Amino acid sequence: MLVRDIMSTAVVTIPVDGNVGRVCELMHERNIRHLPVLEEGRLVGVITDRDIGSATSALCLRPLNPEVLVRDVMAHPPKTAHPMDPVEDAARTMRTLKIGCLPVVEGEQLVGIITGIDLLDALLRLTGVDKPSGRVELCLADRFGELARLTAFIAERRLNILSILTYPEGHGDGRTVLRVNTLETRPLAEDLRRAGFEVLWPPAKPWQH
Amino acid sequence: MAALIYSRSYRAYDFGAEHPFSPARQEMALDLLAALGHEVTWHEPRPATREEILEVHSTAYVRAVEALSAGEAAADAEKWGLGTPDTPVFPGIELAARTLVGGTLAAARLVAQSAEKRVLHFGGGLHHAQRERASGFCVYNDLAVAIKYLTTCGLWVSYLDIDVHHGDGVQAIFNADDKVQTISLHESGQYLFPGTGAIHELGEGMGRGLKINLPLEPFTEGESYLEQFEKVVPRALEAFGPHVLVVQAGADAHFDDPLADLALTTRDYERLFRRILELADGVTAGKVIFTLGGGYSLNAASRVWAILYLLVNDLQVPDTIPEAWSQRWAKHLGGKAAAGLHDLDPAYPPMPHHDEIMQRNRVVAGRLLDAMVPFWY
Repeated sequence: MLVRDIMSTAVVTIPVDGNVGRVCELMHERNIRHLPVLEEGRLVGVITDRDIGSATSALCLRPLNPEVLVRDVMAHPPKTAHPMDPVEDAARTMRTLKIGCLPVVEGEQLVGIITGIDLLDALLRLTGVDKPSGRVELCLADRFGELARLTAFIAERRLNILSILTYPEGHGDGRTVLRVNTLETRPLAEDLRRAGFEVLWPPAKPWQH
Repeated sequence: MAALIYSRSYRAYDFGAEHPFSPARQEMALDLLAALGHEVTWHEPRPATREEILEVHSTAYVRAVEALSAGEAAADAEKWGLGTPDTPVFPGIELAARTLVGGTLAAARLVAQSAEKRVLHFGGGLHHAQRERASGFCVYNDLAVAIKYLTTCGLWVSYLDIDVHHGDGVQAIFNADDKVQTISLHESGQYLFPGTGAIHELGEGMGRGLKINLPLEPFTEGESYLEQFEKVVPRALEAFGPHVLVVQAGADAHFDDPLADLALTTRDYERLFRRILELADGVTAGKVIFTLGGGYSLNAASRVWAILYLLVNDLQVPDTIPEAWSQRWAKHLGGKAAAGLHDLDPAYPPMPHHDEIMQRNRVVAGRLLDAMVPFWY
């Protein structure tokens, strides 16, 4: 999954010589929190609702008025992403810097923006259910061929794997979550256990031990 | 008294001896009622017509089912959700599926056109079938065809789905319909097929706020199930004010079910059925249709549905089970002959995480009620 697959392309921007009052209006009107700042069509900074808040709050040392220019409040130079960056690279940058957005730039051109919300949407897509399916969760041994053995086992039963999510648990073995086109995940889990897989879900029922 | 709809021809909807959706389930229940001394008679429905099926399913899908049923090339069967281990194809499957739809439709006709109040359909409940896709043992959606018919008679319908799986097909078909309320209680889609049925699925457009889902934690017991049912269902029905209640009475939330993880007992089912009948008396002047549904422990499902029959007919639920019945069905009962019509009490050892499960269900039901505030008040 690349940044271009999840970014918003209809980007609302503000010129560098706009004032923060206008920024505030735009953010309210469009229900957004991040504005890329442009100077002669080029990206020069980013201004966020938090920048506005901390610059103008009556609680800060020298509160600014709504006439103050964007160039005096914006963050610059901006951190950016490229449309072909993997989503996880963008996520790592945002996580490391604890920032809420990355304008997406191709050459000199601003082509999109990716925010924390887009990353949440991506997470929902990765874990989502778009076809009727049952869930099977396993702990796969950390050695070659285990995932292949699992998928072959399921293919032999003529079942279709609709999604597969594998993530490390931090101590060698990995967690694998499958969505399979069957209502009969319990019998499948029993077969998998008999074939030596460690199945976490569905579990054996307490009264059927 | 309630009308019963059934046909021996339901036997034809059979995916094979190894498949859990066995027509033996209702045959066992009928035989159990006979063994208990009840003279059970039923209305014999006619199969639904192609036109009736097309009220809900697309022409392309019906054509595909017809072709596969006639043994024609099955290259794209999977595209329609057919020819899978869950919903395999067999010769004549199209007529067999239409026959089940005919039963639920006959129930709807009785309720709409006669003074009959309670109708029990000893079959049907194929709630996973979608407009253009077979899914989870279901080819045609009998419930949706019957509900559609009721709405064309000018009746508003509340659909209550107590099958352990989310009633996804019925919900999707009426997602934007303002004459149909769907309420599904099920094991959370996070854990169980089909994966949907979260509280945020509230319907679309005109149907917004009329699609209600109460997902429950795995290993939820009757006490917690009934507590959350009581919080949500009576209020939902009152808010909508339907003319008819259609209940998919799957028996697979029973603790013995081999395909799911809730832990109701037959006693919980008896309480649940009594409460549903009481709600129907209050909200729809008693007009209620019950269909069967999931329920893959033959032992549990046959007893749950026999209890359902007794309750809709205001008959006593006896304690004992005839020995002759247990012997006749010994093979199907898998060596676990029930002591009585009801499960033992307690039916299973104390459940680990009992309190956590109850708390979590309360929180989820609370969130659902919060989400319903703008629609109900």
